[in-house]
Amino acid sequence: MRDAPARDTVVWLDAPNAPAAGHPPARVVLDQRNLTFIPHVLVVRVGTTVDFPNNDRVFHNVFSFRDGKRFDLGMYPVGALRHVVFDQPGLSRIFCNIHPHMAAYVMAVDSPYFARADESGAFTIAAVPAGTYTYHAWRPGATAELTGTWTSTAGPLQVTWP
Amino acid sequence: MRIAVVVLCVLCVPTPRVVRAQSITAEAAVTGGLSTDEVSAAAVQLRAFGDVTHEIRFFGEAAWAGRSLSEDDHESDSFNAAYPYTNRVQIVEAYGERIFRPHAGLIGVRAGRFRTPFGIYNASDHAYSGFLRAPLVRYEEYSPLSNTFLEHGADLVVGIPSLTVEAALAAPADIGEVARGSGVDAVIRVQGYVGPFIAGVSHMRTPNSQLALDASGRTTVTGIDLRWMHGGVQLRGEWVTGQPSGAATTTGWYGDALIHRAFMGPVTAVVRIERLDWTDAHSAEEEYLSRQTVGARIRLTNTVVLQVNALHETGDDEYLPRALDVAVTWTVRKP
Repeated sequence: MRDAPARDTVVWLDAPNAPAAGHPPARVVLDQRNLTFIPHVLVVRVGTTVDFPNNDRVFHNVFSFRDGKRFDLGMYPVGALRHVVFDQPGLSRIFCNIHPHMAAYVMAVDSPYFARADESGAFTIAAVPAGTYTYHAWRPGATAELTGTWTSTAGPLQVTWP
Repeated sequence: MRIAVVVLCVLCVPTPRVVRAQSITAEAAVTGGLSTDEVSAAAVQLRAFGDVTHEIRFFGEAAWAGRSLSEDDHESDSFNAAYPYTNRVQIVEAYGERIFRPHAGLIGVRAGRFRTPFGIYNASDHAYSGFLRAPLVRYEEYSPLSNTFLEHGADLVVGIPSLTVEAALAAPADIGEVARGSGVDAVIRVQGYVGPFIAGVSHMRTPNSQLALDASGRTTVTGIDLRWMHGGVQLRGEWVTGQPSGAATTTGWYGDALIHRAFMGPVTAVVRIERLDWTDAHSAEEEYLSRQTVGARIRLTNTVVLQVNALHETGDDEYLPRALDVAVTWTVRKP
């Protein structure tokens, strides 16, 4: 059977000696629009502030109780903004308690080298120094992360889900 | 199936800042329900929504719903929260909307067919109040509110996020068993929030329901609502008073707690008390209906939600005093 691209796959490389995050810490947006979180999957570096603006006409109540960063932003209306600092690595499952069909994922990784696959399954990680890395991959629906070793001189990394 | 992704390590793409317009989303929801009130119900909702441009959005919803009562003259408000049980496909909402954000302000314009923006019944809380039987709504001649009130017209929101004024000028275009007469109606709502508190005042002047004793008159209804939320606990209260049919007056209130704490996982619990009092214009006799509800909404999977309500009602002998309602909704969404 022909391979199918895995959009929204998150890949990151272990980089314990990578430079620290800049100051002020990065801010990223997880939008709420048309009863949907946009994007569906977000990957950020540990310490990043994620803004949750409400750009709908209806109230939303963003929360994450299951794992990763646990929070409940309460209800807030259109035009209002709440934010969360993802200060620990791990996967957070984001929901709206008013609209059960809204769901998103935030993966916080302790590395500056990460990316999310586009619809074709391809992604790009910026400014990776030459070397050998342990890589991790996760995607929605996966029961566990994939891990492996990748060397920059070996060409592009291909991750295959079992 | 083997699934592959490829990474190309090159120099580009800094921090993944994300803001983008959404494409069209289609959603289907299928619900089935049973009640010990000798009622069974099924409904299918199809929705499409998204951005025409980054500034202009649309929302459309069509629904089919059917409800079976054990006997034709059996009275029950089970599963009356949201659907028009007409056993045929109907357009529920179809509107376009543009939101302007001048500086710190907020202006929203909506035109088309939309739910009446009164109180916390409108779409802003519609899903949340969907614990199978919406508070304060009865499909009787004394009830000034309905969850299937719809408007054909325009709606304007002006303000700042923490304080908005919303006004709708429209013609009633209701679906279901309660339909208002023809004419022009007006709804105004003021809503503000401070910290965890959200308060609103609504007023509506509209043609009477055809169920009303005086179907040619006008209904006026005013409501005050207050919500507070912290740590997964939401407390709500709403009070309404109005004249659904000339000299008759209906006053009602409810208070409830919606609880979703971290340890509860996929379960959201509700506890609610409510009461409606009304005077019949002909008998001048005061009557009431009181209901207490304990329930839960349980997310079984990402696409399946179970709702369970146990309730006790007094005041109207046509309703059974106790009931257990159970409903399952399966939703699939295609971006």
